[in-house]
Amino acid sequence: MPDSEQSENVQSPRRRAFLLGGLGAGAAGAVAGVAGGYVYRATRPATAGELALKNAEAGLLPPVPFEGRYQAGVLPSPQRQTAVIAFDATAEGRGELIDLFQAITARARFLTAGGTPPPVGIGGPPSDSGVLGPTVVPDGLTVTLGVGSTLFDDRYGLAGRLPGRLTPMLPFPNDYLDPAQTGGDLILQLSAGNTDAVVHALRDIARHTRGGMQARWRIDGFSSPARPSGTVPRNMMGFMDGISNPDTTSQAEMDSLVWIQPGGAGEPAWTAGGSYFVVRLIRMFVEFWDRVDITEQENMIGRRRDTGYPLDSMSIYATPDYALDPEGEVIPLTAHMRLANPRIPQTADSRILRRAYNYDRGIDQVGDLDIGLVFTCFQQDLKRQFETVQTRLINEPLVDYISPFGGGYFLALPGVVDGTDYLGRALLT
Amino acid sequence: MLILGVGRLRSDSYLIGAAVRRVALTACAVMFAGLLTACGGSAPPANLISVSNAGCGTNWHAGPGWYTFQIYNAATEAGEVDLVDPGSGAVYAEVETIGPETSSPMRLDLGSGSYAFRCLFEDYDPITGPTTVIGGHAHGTPAILPITNNDLLAPAKEYHAYVTAGLVTLLSQANVLAADVRAGNLAAAKSAWLPAHLTYERLGAAYDSFGGFDEAIDGRPDGFAEGVNSPQWTGFYRLEYGLWHGQSAGELTPIANTLVADIRALQASWPATEINLLDIGLRTHEILENALEFQLTGHDDYGSGTTLATTQANITGTLELLTILHPLLASRYAGLPAVYTWLDRLDSLLNQNKRPNGQWIPVWKLSVSSREQVDSACSQALEELAPIAAITEPRII
Repeated sequence: MPDSEQSENVQSPRRRAFLLGGLGAGAAGAVAGVAGGYVYRATRPATAGELALKNAEAGLLPPVPFEGRYQAGVLPSPQRQTAVIAFDATAEGRGELIDLFQAITARARFLTAGGTPPPVGIGGPPSDSGVLGPTVVPDGLTVTLGVGSTLFDDRYGLAGRLPGRLTPMLPFPNDYLDPAQTGGDLILQLSAGNTDAVVHALRDIARHTRGGMQARWRIDGFSSPARPSGTVPRNMMGFMDGISNPDTTSQAEMDSLVWIQPGGAGEPAWTAGGSYFVVRLIRMFVEFWDRVDITEQENMIGRRRDTGYPLDSMSIYATPDYALDPEGEVIPLTAHMRLANPRIPQTADSRILRRAYNYDRGIDQVGDLDIGLVFTCFQQDLKRQFETVQTRLINEPLVDYISPFGGGYFLALPGVVDGTDYLGRALLT
Repeated sequence: MLILGVGRLRSDSYLIGAAVRRVALTACAVMFAGLLTACGGSAPPANLISVSNAGCGTNWHAGPGWYTFQIYNAATEAGEVDLVDPGSGAVYAEVETIGPETSSPMRLDLGSGSYAFRCLFEDYDPITGPTTVIGGHAHGTPAILPITNNDLLAPAKEYHAYVTAGLVTLLSQANVLAADVRAGNLAAAKSAWLPAHLTYERLGAAYDSFGGFDEAIDGRPDGFAEGVNSPQWTGFYRLEYGLWHGQSAGELTPIANTLVADIRALQASWPATEINLLDIGLRTHEILENALEFQLTGHDDYGSGTTLATTQANITGTLELLTILHPLLASRYAGLPAVYTWLDRLDSLLNQNKRPNGQWIPVWKLSVSSREQVDSACSQALEELAPIAAITEPRII
């Protein structure tokens, strides 16, 4: 192919550059390996970023290493597609529960790396659904497993190992929690570049764990391209979501805000390297929202809708200066952004790692769209962080336009450190 | 082909399933034909095994490891290709129905052992190609001794006898039920309905062989435009709907009489009915697939709230098939003990969901955890059962 045609294939490297955010620098090396045989010659050498973008578009995101001190799905920016599924354990006794966690680990290890499923001969149906073709591609899949407080009841003898801050998610004022879409012994989040990779992983894991756990509720989410540019996707209210987050490249910040530390006060030793994982399923009344004028919308959020700028700034990442605006004349005191993070030293340790996805799943009883947010966040201390932030948000003006209806509190397990380790080993043995 | 005893055409889900399988095969063949055309003119792909009615994989060598052989049918007839252990006749892998001048992949893990391709072309004797021996101690895809039509004749006969006996019980129970309805004793009819229906549900494996009788005796209203009000809807579920929705004895009498008449007619036709040998293995998981789809979801609860009882009857039908197939399966399926483990667990979980007076609890009234346990055990049992259909598919040797 002539070079001129090839170069047209290289889209603006910065457009949708957010896709690269989650990959991190370490993934750049992996791109070349996965792209082996992939014909890609531009007039200038392609950058790692461009290769990653091409791979993303082709459904060939490189594998995210499964093993590590922490689960690999916690820190990355939202991928394009996710599924969050709560399960209840049906395993009988501790031994079967260990079998379950080992089975999930084994499948996650295979699915995140990719490869060819084993042939079965005439001894049974095919071992793989075939949804990703004869060879499973990882497409950036991450598998994140968490446990809920109900796993620590009398069934498995785990009551003494309950994490210090893990409770059922009780309703806040203005919540409308549906028990059928709330809670669960286990939470599984599958994220990847494309829906087929997510659904393939879910089918595979479910097939290998049917006797050990049963799905309780499920929601699928997606993260949009950053429009018109930049790195921050928009939610279904039209606002950019997740602009202000702790710096995931700073180990110090992650150690103080996200990861449970060894010897953490009130925490059993097995939780070190884990992270409290909050899921909130939040319906947005988008028809109602669309009938609200832009000034009111922006005052409720505290940012400009078009640009994401704080209402007092000319830059998306500018820190709003609330000290200069004590009466809330520029950014109302009740703006979501201001209540969530007042930007004062006393509230710095309540910051959370916010990971929000959009959901879109049909219509409700009056024909309005069932659209909203799969809000997830990770933190070291559920009470010091999420519950404190959410308490500040009680009765914010935004509550009229949203309705939290499900989700739960979980603890994302520590990572799998080597080939013999499995998710939950420290908890179960 | 391999299917014996051509079943009557009817809108039965099983039959539709079989048709889909065949369509899928055709689509694959077309796809690979396209692929081969695309490759035309270039070197043949690695691991290409050419077969015809004159030769069967005459030239190939391999070491241990995973392979995808592209089996190319150079003949002008459709054929079937197996990779076998020529000493025992055990089959490592197979490609069923490969059209003329098309290719199809055969994937397997070659371990230590003896391998030869065997070709079956219509109107020709089977041909076995030369043997390739892989030494060492490598584990690969295990070979399984194929089960033939002959092997399945005795199980079919046993199953036929099981149904014969079941129909005697069924008719007498249906007569009691119909008499209660005719007498206007609808409370007694409600009590008589369940044992009769469960007797029918225990016959599970024979659905295909029952032809149109199954629709008449145990059909659902969903396929009728008027749904539950359709005059065409007959059988146990129609009667259940009427009994539990306050319909009168006068309204239900013709339905009860028709049910008895249909069972009599089935019984009369049964001695001459041949059991499809392919079905015996298929039903080992299909009975409970149906239970999961229609009973445990509550779809087939037309008022009595007894779909858990139906599921238990379906387990009995599945166990009967397993008993009959046990001599064939014991040496071929390492997962057989797990099948029994999970069917037992499902059965005991179902028993836990009766009221103290023995009455069944409707699925929609179960606690979340009870329902999850039942669904989970049924699903795991199905995973364990699934390989049996593949193993017991009648094969030509």
